[in-house]
Amino acid sequence: MQKSLYTVWTFARLNAKRFFRDRLAIFFTVIFPLIFLFIFGAINRGSGAVSFNVAIINQSQTTVAQEFVAQAEAGKILKVTNSVTTLDEAKEKMKRSELDAAIVLPADFGEIKNDQYPSGQLTVYYSPNNEQSAQALTSILQEQFNQMNAKYVSTDVPFTVTAQSTQQESLSRFDYTFAGLVGFAIIGLGVFGPVNVFPELKKQGILRRLHTTPLRVWQYFVANVMSQSVIGILSIAIMFVTSVIVFDLHMKGSYITFVLFTLLSIFVIYGIGLAIGGWAKNERQAAPLSNLITFPMIFLAGTFFPRFLMPEWLQKVSEYLPLTPVIDGIRLIVTEGKGFIDILPQVGLLAIWAVVIYFIAFRVFRWE
Amino acid sequence: MSVIVKVKDLTKTYDDKTVVNGISFDVKKGEVFGILGPNGAGKTTTLEMIEAIRPIDSGSAHINGIDVAKQPQAVRYIIGVQPQSPAFQDKSKLKEILTMFAAAYGEKIDPKDLLQSVDLLEKADTYVENLSGGQRQRLSIAASLVHNPKVFFMDEPTTGLDPQARRNLWDLVKSIQAKGITVILTTHYLEEAEVLCDRVAIMDEGNIIALDTPKNLIKQLLARGFKKKHHVEQASLEDVFIDLTGKHLRD
Repeated sequence: MQKSLYTVWTFARLNAKRFFRDRLAIFFTVIFPLIFLFIFGAINRGSGAVSFNVAIINQSQTTVAQEFVAQAEAGKILKVTNSVTTLDEAKEKMKRSELDAAIVLPADFGEIKNDQYPSGQLTVYYSPNNEQSAQALTSILQEQFNQMNAKYVSTDVPFTVTAQSTQQESLSRFDYTFAGLVGFAIIGLGVFGPVNVFPELKKQGILRRLHTTPLRVWQYFVANVMSQSVIGILSIAIMFVTSVIVFDLHMKGSYITFVLFTLLSIFVIYGIGLAIGGWAKNERQAAPLSNLITFPMIFLAGTFFPRFLMPEWLQKVSEYLPLTPVIDGIRLIVTEGKGFIDILPQVGLLAIWAVVIYFIAFRVFRWE
Repeated sequence: MSVIVKVKDLTKTYDDKTVVNGISFDVKKGEVFGILGPNGAGKTTTLEMIEAIRPIDSGSAHINGIDVAKQPQAVRYIIGVQPQSPAFQDKSKLKEILTMFAAAYGEKIDPKDLLQSVDLLEKADTYVENLSGGQRQRLSIAASLVHNPKVFFMDEPTTGLDPQARRNLWDLVKSIQAKGITVILTTHYLEEAEVLCDRVAIMDEGNIIALDTPKNLIKQLLARGFKKKHHVEQASLEDVFIDLTGKHLRD
């Protein structure tokens, strides 16, 4: 038994050593997920507040009109594109969805007419595929006008509505991004890594040579899982620290739970890579199969956008993919501060997958 | 001398094509046994069946009394295998390769001693990808000997080596034999077989068509009335080459 452990330990140690000497491997395992982190982090950095991209075309010279434009530009709800000055230009941009709507203030807007107070009507132009935004924008503008109207014509307002924050912390878009990207990194090192490496080792006859020694498949598997876990934890630690520093990620859960759960995740997902890479005779078998399995999983498991955006039936199905509990679990731990007991469903599902995946991996493994 | 490898009626068939056709032979303890034959004669397949990495269709092979088909794991502990074109994972140091191979047998070794025995001690901390062909062969031999096997298999060990490296490898094989290890090798080079092998089996199309010492085989041929067409030179072109370039290794 002790000899067996020495075998596993030596293979794991030398595997890890080789990895840290290989710049290309480091790039794909550590730097590549970081690049994704920066791209998706930049996209999803915002607070999630609603805003509209609009052009304001002011054809009026009145002070009321000018004040309205100034206020709109200063406010947070409207992002005013100044480069657009005519309705035709605005229409062109709306066609390409660069603008949500165009607000046109006619020449007589804000002029004082017989009624002794200023009046006017502005028009919101929108393209049909932006109807919802346009309606929301119209009601926001209407509300502003109601306030302005009240200044000139006092009225009683029997019914009102006020908004009150629940004071609860809700998930920001980046919180979803982080868990998804950790899932993506685990797929990268757990599936794409071995799927590339094993067929190459077979091609060079390195595995066949190991087969002439008493080395057992399980010893080889355990050694690889160990070295890959160390590399994976390191890669995710770098992602985590970057997210905390650059993207203001708040770690709410326990670090121990986070590390243990991440290890379990790497173990399960790496099993998929071992099964495919261990089965495939060459790259031509390995690449299509791994793409077939991983790409749908990446999209369905909520890696790049949350699963609640999917239709109900798809959510039900994707719930049971091996990557889904990984991403859900990490989000629950990191951003919701859940403990081990709370993530038992995720842990349980991963445990079931571990049994299934490693059973298959052992059955289909070939040394050449 | 006692028999250490016993092969009986060994057969391998691929898609109705019989690659190894019921061959039988014994290898004596401590000898260097050569398997010669043209490409596709079934040499490598024969070796791989005896090495327990290819299933035996029918017949049997025993090494040191152990049935290869029934106890492949026990066989692996007592054999060393040198593949046709040895490859190692990049970014591995020579000493790490030997440590790893020893670990596969559950053994802890000092790689320095073994590296010394194949003249690679000064390369202990070099990455394998920086080795020449001959050095890689020697490392591979060292890797096959980490566990002191009883039988050492070499598949075309000198293919692709320059004359200096080939001669160096011959010396190495002789020193392995001197340690009491039985060597079974395949080769295309008949001169090599003549220098190294105590006995040779000549294979063609899956059958052994001759088996004896190189001397006896030549005697038998001459007895059949064979005469060379040309006058035999006292030296060959290879002798000229070695005389001019020297015997020392170039890598």
